[in-house]
Amino acid sequence: MSRHGKATELARTLFKLSLEDGRISSERVGAVLAWVERHMPPRATAVLREYKRLVEEEIARNRAVIEFAGDISPSAFEEIAEAMSRRYGRSIEPVPVPRPELIAGVRVRVGCDIFENSIFSQLGILRAFS
Amino acid sequence: MSTVLEQIEQQIARLQAGTVRKNVGTIRTVADGVALCDGLSEVMYNEMVEFPGGTIGIALNLTEDDVGCVVLGDVSGLKEGDEAKTTGRLLSVPVGKSLLGRAVDALGNPVDAKGPIEAKEFYPVEKIAPGIVVRKSVSQPLFTGIMAIDSMIPIGRGQRELIIGDRGTGKTTIAIDTIINQARINRVGLASGDPKFRPVYSIYVAVGQKNSNIVRTMSALEAAGALEYTVIVAAPAADNPANQYLAPYSGASMGEWFMENGMDALIVYDDLSKHAVAYRQISLILKRPSGREAYPGDVFYLHSRLLERAARLDGKGSLTALPIIETLAGDVSAYIPTNVISITDGQIFLETDLFNQGIRPAVSVGLSVSRVGSAAQVKATKQVAGKLKGELAQFRELAAFAQFGSDLDAKTKNQLDRGARIVELFKQPAFNPISIELQAATLWAMQNGFYDGIPMNKVAAAAASLREFFANRKDALLGKIRNKAALDAELEAELKQGCNEWKPTFSA
Repeated sequence: MSRHGKATELARTLFKLSLEDGRISSERVGAVLAWVERHMPPRATAVLREYKRLVEEEIARNRAVIEFAGDISPSAFEEIAEAMSRRYGRSIEPVPVPRPELIAGVRVRVGCDIFENSIFSQLGILRAFS
Repeated sequence: MSTVLEQIEQQIARLQAGTVRKNVGTIRTVADGVALCDGLSEVMYNEMVEFPGGTIGIALNLTEDDVGCVVLGDVSGLKEGDEAKTTGRLLSVPVGKSLLGRAVDALGNPVDAKGPIEAKEFYPVEKIAPGIVVRKSVSQPLFTGIMAIDSMIPIGRGQRELIIGDRGTGKTTIAIDTIINQARINRVGLASGDPKFRPVYSIYVAVGQKNSNIVRTMSALEAAGALEYTVIVAAPAADNPANQYLAPYSGASMGEWFMENGMDALIVYDDLSKHAVAYRQISLILKRPSGREAYPGDVFYLHSRLLERAARLDGKGSLTALPIIETLAGDVSAYIPTNVISITDGQIFLETDLFNQGIRPAVSVGLSVSRVGSAAQVKATKQVAGKLKGELAQFRELAAFAQFGSDLDAKTKNQLDRGARIVELFKQPAFNPISIELQAATLWAMQNGFYDGIPMNKVAAAAASLREFFANRKDALLGKIRNKAALDAELEAELKQGCNEWKPTFSA
């Protein structure tokens, strides 16, 4: 179950090398992958899996997945992204995803934080009281 | 009607029409009652984490890569990829007098099929122990009703006294007798109408025990009329280790409510050995580094922070703790026993040899100690029992010497005879606590030679007969001893008269 150990340590080092100005650089990621292929470190699969998880987390931190239902103007997504950028102090990129199950409203996920104001979540709260 | 409308308005306000923010993570693995989660970037240590289906967990491992949550409840509904979210709350349990007479689990949910518990307050399970300034020294006695303990190893309110011994030596019996005695004293005290009387409420925490044992204990308490003053916190062996780990802390929170509201409480942890084993299991599953005997490095802190919550507070109440530890083959120098001995304010050591010899309670007077000592004894007990420990120590030395069969002088024979009579006197049946005034009468009779000449195997019966005589015919005298708590010349004269009246009624 534990991810500790040398594979995790190497993955973390590779992840740090993949950052440029605090953000994931696709060029550096390519260089890291080429290095791994060339040198094939011990437990390379575990290293790559852990590396992928760290990169995914970092990408999720800099992205606002905006799930919505109903009609929302494109400028609204930009406004949400700007609000998130101000809140977190870093540039957040909006990723709109239509999700009709929400009925109406939005659900914004940035990393581990979820901001929700949808009919679906309100119905969930009502259900909890029944 | 306005209250009803207020309630409805509060419910509507709770719906929170605004944006809701939550911090979430994803379950990566679930095994052995522990869920490893990614995300949960803002989770705090010991925070409650909610899983799908309302299952609750506690975040116990916060590492760089993941969060280890111990799941309190059924893990079978959880799977990889499920969302976990923080609740922003620490684990809390219901507290208050509504818990008296009830059996609850480690989370405070009733398990006795007597309906829901209407608790108005909730206390966090983990709480910092009272500091130094708010404490007061222990000076009020807590009578166990067991003569051997009240006379030689007295316990005070706010003390931590460890009960330690091998399996089947009567540890739980001592704890139950103490609870029954508190209930008896409560009934007498409350009936007297004395405004200064302070009842003692009891909490019995069963950790890792068989369900049948817990039921037997509850039945014994109910039969003795003690259940109405007692809360039972049950975390049996069938419960998951997380609940067994939490149960003592939940019980401590319930006891702290009484303490902080100016009342006195007694809490029994039965037993902390199984508590340490449950914590070891959780720690190993969480991959925490293991130390001696595979226990985690903070196993001392596990018990020290629990037992430090028992105290006597200045201007408030007290919480007395009776932790129980089971030893193996009488080894008190093992890891967990030595840890808890160093934390508590004394120990009552029960020996298997004494138990097998028929000396029950099997208290080893030589190895037992109360660090509070006579500060927690009433004057009457000090007067009659002050020298007992020394006399028994001399008896033990001489008894070992006499085994070699050499000729003994009269003085030695007298000491051996006296010691043997004291040992017989302290034999007491289970679930039969003796009031402090009857103890004083019994020991006074012994000090003044009223058992001399009675065959050794009849001494215990003689003492029981004397107590019955005094209970039936000298109730007024017992009341005076109870109220004065000291034996003056007048009371001693009445005791002498009473014993003289009793002697002819007892046929050896």
